[in-house]
Amino acid sequence: MNRTLWTALRALAITVVCLIIAMPVVWMIAAAFKTNVQVTDPTVGLVFSPTLENFRTVLADGEIVRSLGNSALVGIVSTVLSALIAVPAAWAVGRFRMHSTGSLVLVARIVPAISLLVPWYYLFAQLGLVGSYTVLVLSHMFVSVPLILWIMIGFFEGLPIELEEAGHVDGLTAFGAFRRIALPLAAPGTATASVLAFIFSWNNFMFALILSDEDTKTMPVTLFNFISYASTDWGGLMAAATLMTLPVLVAAVLGQKYLVAGLTAGATKG
Amino acid sequence: MSDIQLNRRAFGRLLAAGAGAAALSACGSRGTPGPDTPLRISAINHVWSQAVRQRLPEFEETIGRRVSMQLLTADQLASSYNVKLNASATDIDVMMVRALQEQLLFARNGWLADLTGLVEGDAAFDWADFQEAPRDRSITRGKVLSVPVVTERPALYYRKDLVSSPPATLDALREEAFRLTSRDLFGYVGRGQRSGAVTQWSSFLYSFGGDFTTADGGSGIGSPEAVAAYRFYGELLDRAGPPGATNMSLEQAMPIFAQGKAAFYIDADAIYSNFLDPTISTVREQVGFAPFPAGPAGSKPHNIPSWSVGINAFSLLRDDAWRFIQWISGPRMVTELQAAGIPGARASAWADPATLAAFPAELAESMRINAANGIGHDRPEVIQVGRARDIVGRPLVAGIIGQDVAPVAAEAHAEFADFLVRDNRQQEF
Repeated sequence: MNRTLWTALRALAITVVCLIIAMPVVWMIAAAFKTNVQVTDPTVGLVFSPTLENFRTVLADGEIVRSLGNSALVGIVSTVLSALIAVPAAWAVGRFRMHSTGSLVLVARIVPAISLLVPWYYLFAQLGLVGSYTVLVLSHMFVSVPLILWIMIGFFEGLPIELEEAGHVDGLTAFGAFRRIALPLAAPGTATASVLAFIFSWNNFMFALILSDEDTKTMPVTLFNFISYASTDWGGLMAAATLMTLPVLVAAVLGQKYLVAGLTAGATKG
Repeated sequence: MSDIQLNRRAFGRLLAAGAGAAALSACGSRGTPGPDTPLRISAINHVWSQAVRQRLPEFEETIGRRVSMQLLTADQLASSYNVKLNASATDIDVMMVRALQEQLLFARNGWLADLTGLVEGDAAFDWADFQEAPRDRSITRGKVLSVPVVTERPALYYRKDLVSSPPATLDALREEAFRLTSRDLFGYVGRGQRSGAVTQWSSFLYSFGGDFTTADGGSGIGSPEAVAAYRFYGELLDRAGPPGATNMSLEQAMPIFAQGKAAFYIDADAIYSNFLDPTISTVREQVGFAPFPAGPAGSKPHNIPSWSVGINAFSLLRDDAWRFIQWISGPRMVTELQAAGIPGARASAWADPATLAAFPAELAESMRINAANGIGHDRPEVIQVGRARDIVGRPLVAGIIGQDVAPVAAEAHAEFADFLVRDNRQQEF
């Protein structure tokens, strides 16, 4: 009896939490199919005659499509470059006990991003890079590298060292052991870290606001096109937000298996 | 081991030399914009900016240079200026600014170029044609630092199907609002957010005979007139307004009237088109427009330059930036934009009946009357406007949630008096 009650309570708690998490997403998707009159009318809930007009407007807007492309470009390039640097670095930190170096890198995550923007802007303006993809990729890497590094350190520390030692016996160099043994085994962790880094980059607003220009601005900044001084186009905004959420949602669902494995793999040793 | 150290050191030197060379070469190329360098305009996402953007090809042809216009929200624009201009940015040429919110601070920081010689030296530009109140607000310490392009006054939006004629006095407004309040309808909706409500409340304050500051620069928000204005506004929203009014600024209050859920609404006249747009409004057939109702001291609404344009002091394209300002705020373009429904700051445009034909007749008349009675500021004229609005807005919130306004106003008055002393010290530049 007690067990049944607990199970029911647990199911109820899970449902409530899921509802709280899902509600904003459901509201966003529903609003994307409403007219502006319906969006601001609290009596119109989830039952209404849907319209595709918002999506038509958004997709016909070249700026939105270009910004989605910019976000994808910056997200993919910064994530790949960050992974190329951070994964071997994480292996080195994990294997050779270089934790003080690892902590130093973590400073990038501790310093508030806004405090970096003035010196960054000054430096990049001197180099003539403001408004380029290069500066966006570099700024996103500043956050992505520590993120991937610290997820992967735990992962590499969790891999039995005996596997690499066996490789050394068979004639592999230290780096060869990393490339042929540790790296393939760390694929789920790399996937996890990369997806998280990509999501950070995809959603980052502040760096793009200051460092991009009209040609390179990413989707989070472009979303604000729907908010003007005297009015907000809620339908258009929600349609654009839905389009912006979709790729991340698809990536998360497709990579779910790796994500779960990756997130838990570094948690235990042996 | 020593080999490794040597290599590391050599690598460090190489890196430093590379970075230094890159920085030097970049510095060398700075200060010489090429023919391909665009003229960059940072602007608020506003109907004015959208209308200007559509007309840019005409200007680009004149100057033979591409123009890049970045549209942001007001907060983002302010953040962007703060970060970029702190670093002496050259990638902003023309800046859209709120003369009453930011100009004093930007002037203190040396971010806005002096336009005095330019506006006064060009007879065709006709600086004297700008309305007095907005023109005065463009001048800081005797220098013209911006040119007003959009002006704003409050308008009384009301439901013609609910009242036969709009209330002419604030007392009549209150009476009608209380009478019409029911389960399905709010008698009055307006901004109630602590800082956001201050600008709209200013017209109530003036119409009760008060002001934010006294003639000698002290706090005016503890005066009997100010306390009466606080009490009036608070009671109006408390008894006739929607629940949660203290969280409402323009974005929240406007849809309530547009949805037909309120009888009266006072807010900027610049937002009138929202109520005539069938995709947003359900009251486009019923909405009426009227001048700001008279209080004990008469009808004294604000008439302010809500948005102005200036030139970044670090801009490398100052000549082209001035040509843009000449073009967009010259008599021809202001008349054209006003005829498209965007109220400008030129007296000649307001005197031209053709420019008023774009507005509903009632609104045009209300704008004309409000402009004639208008006071040139809608917030305290200080450097730290945000902080001042927070202090001034506190008794407003107290009134809206039904508290006794007098003690809160007295506290705010004392705090505002201290604040003004500190702010005045910062104004010595």
